[in-house]
Amino acid sequence: MLILEILFTGLLMGSFYALMALGLTLIFGILKIVNFAHGEFFMIGAYAYTLLVLRAGMPQVPAIVTAMVLGAVVALLMERLLMRPLYTGVIGAGALRDEYAIIVTFGLSLFLINLSHQVLGPYPIKGPDLVGVSRVELLGFFVSPHRLLASGLAALTLGLIVWLIRTTVWGKRVQAVAQNRFGAAIAGIDHARVSALVLALSGGIVALSGALLSPLFHAYPDVGAFPAVKSFVVVVLGGLGSIPGSIVGGLLLGVLENFGAIYVSYEYRDTFGFVILMLVLLLRPQGLFGERAREV
Amino acid sequence: MRKIALSPADYRLAFVVLGVVALVPLAVRSEYWLGVVITGLYFAMLAQNWNLLAGITGLFSMAPAAFAMVGAYTTGLLYHHAGLGPWIGVPAAALVSAAVGFGLGRITLRLRGAYLALTTLAFSEILRLVIANSIEWTRDLGLSVVGIFGGAKVPILYLFLGVLTAYQVLLMLLLRSRVGLFLLAIRDDEVGAVARGVDIVRYKTLAFTISSAGCGIAGALFVHFLQLASPELGLILQTGLVISMVVIGGMGTVTGPLVGALLMEVAAEALREVGVRHLLVFSAMVILVGRFFREGLMGAVARLRRGARLVAQPTSSDAERLA
Repeated sequence: MLILEILFTGLLMGSFYALMALGLTLIFGILKIVNFAHGEFFMIGAYAYTLLVLRAGMPQVPAIVTAMVLGAVVALLMERLLMRPLYTGVIGAGALRDEYAIIVTFGLSLFLINLSHQVLGPYPIKGPDLVGVSRVELLGFFVSPHRLLASGLAALTLGLIVWLIRTTVWGKRVQAVAQNRFGAAIAGIDHARVSALVLALSGGIVALSGALLSPLFHAYPDVGAFPAVKSFVVVVLGGLGSIPGSIVGGLLLGVLENFGAIYVSYEYRDTFGFVILMLVLLLRPQGLFGERAREV
Repeated sequence: MRKIALSPADYRLAFVVLGVVALVPLAVRSEYWLGVVITGLYFAMLAQNWNLLAGITGLFSMAPAAFAMVGAYTTGLLYHHAGLGPWIGVPAAALVSAAVGFGLGRITLRLRGAYLALTTLAFSEILRLVIANSIEWTRDLGLSVVGIFGGAKVPILYLFLGVLTAYQVLLMLLLRSRVGLFLLAIRDDEVGAVARGVDIVRYKTLAFTISSAGCGIAGALFVHFLQLASPELGLILQTGLVISMVVIGGMGTVTGPLVGALLMEVAAEALREVGVRHLLVFSAMVILVGRFFREGLMGAVARLRRGARLVAQPTSSDAERLA
């Protein structure tokens, strides 16, 4: 029974890892860069939801939607101000492009962390639960109904995005730009607009994770560090740019971590992910679902 | 287009900066500000070592602070558990961090760009968590370490400056040799470098080893100044600070990291007095520099002297930029 419980709570956490990793992998797919400010969108979502409910008295559901919109707006600004140069020719190609992306997104990450430190202070604020009940019994063990509901929402969002990208015209445009930006541009797709929309979507879903997880992880300036590194681990595990990879990888990491925390060591639970990350990069750099990169 | 990076003027300026620092104790009597300059010199060492890796060889590591922590804990543990002082601790720190750097460089050889950044980031976080969690060895609040020169600031400042100058001379010799050209070739075109017969395995590992050893020495010296070794030295924010200093100073130049580190450490103290978080200002500058002035402060100075436009213009073709 214990094993079932560990598996179940691992999957609950894993659904969030999957959602956050999806946000990261979408950006990698379309821009071929890693967003080092990823965790700060989580922080924005956590703060927005927490402060709107506790300080402004907004009901939970509109607060969550507002948090998502805020994440999307910040991501749009980031795209317009910092990511545009990646495909307007100012930056150059290859290694220079990678370096530029790391510098500006890492700079943005430091900036947002320190901005919230300066404005909101360092103290963690616990986010409000979605439901009043503290625990329910399910399959013979107890779980928090908030976590259950939040993970359900995360799974729903995951499904929605996969459906969007796989079947709609808009999603096909995204796939086209991800495969070949130049080719997509020739075919008449407004690639800059597609990139902006993908970044907004990514910012929105990461902010949503932040809002939904704020009762667990609270809202404070550095809160994004933990989800960011977990997302890095997941996308590398699943293969950078692969959507099924980030979903499977996220669930897998959630379960592995939970088993590790119980059977290996609770203090070192956050290091398992890093060990997995290093092993994957060394043994199978393309990840579980990724394609091996080719160089001309 | 003539570039400032690694030009004779760049090397000369670096030594001028070091000379100016040597005059600081004549003008500054305040113990507090001397401490600030010593901290600035510590960051200058880290910045210069990170620059060798990221700016010169093109290996964007996220672990300079982690290697400083390796050095710090080598000398800290030797003092705490074996009673050995800095004369053994600092060289031991150089050896241990060189060995760790060699290992990390070896296993990350195939990785570039974001993959390398992610792996080194993971490495430094694992290391910090392990050190912070092994409290039987590393104590709760960090290891207290013996001071040097009885804690007198002026001799410590000259010791740090001497080490930095020695490093600067070695770096110049390295960069002006064939090896320096190999490192630059790896940065500019790795495939091309292999094709021309550069043994990239050897030189990437070399750059990693030297840079790690340098960071380790800096970390070891710094804890003998602080008289405390703590996992805080390896925080990602510390790495962020080092990266900010080099990016703002000018990546790939030899003067940029020195100027960046010293100016920004002093600026950080000034900002603290006004009540603004220094990293807030620095990170905004990093974004602006990354976005508009690719060569940082040094590049901007060179451009102004040439009378060229300050902001770079698009250079690549349509097919290139959309690829």
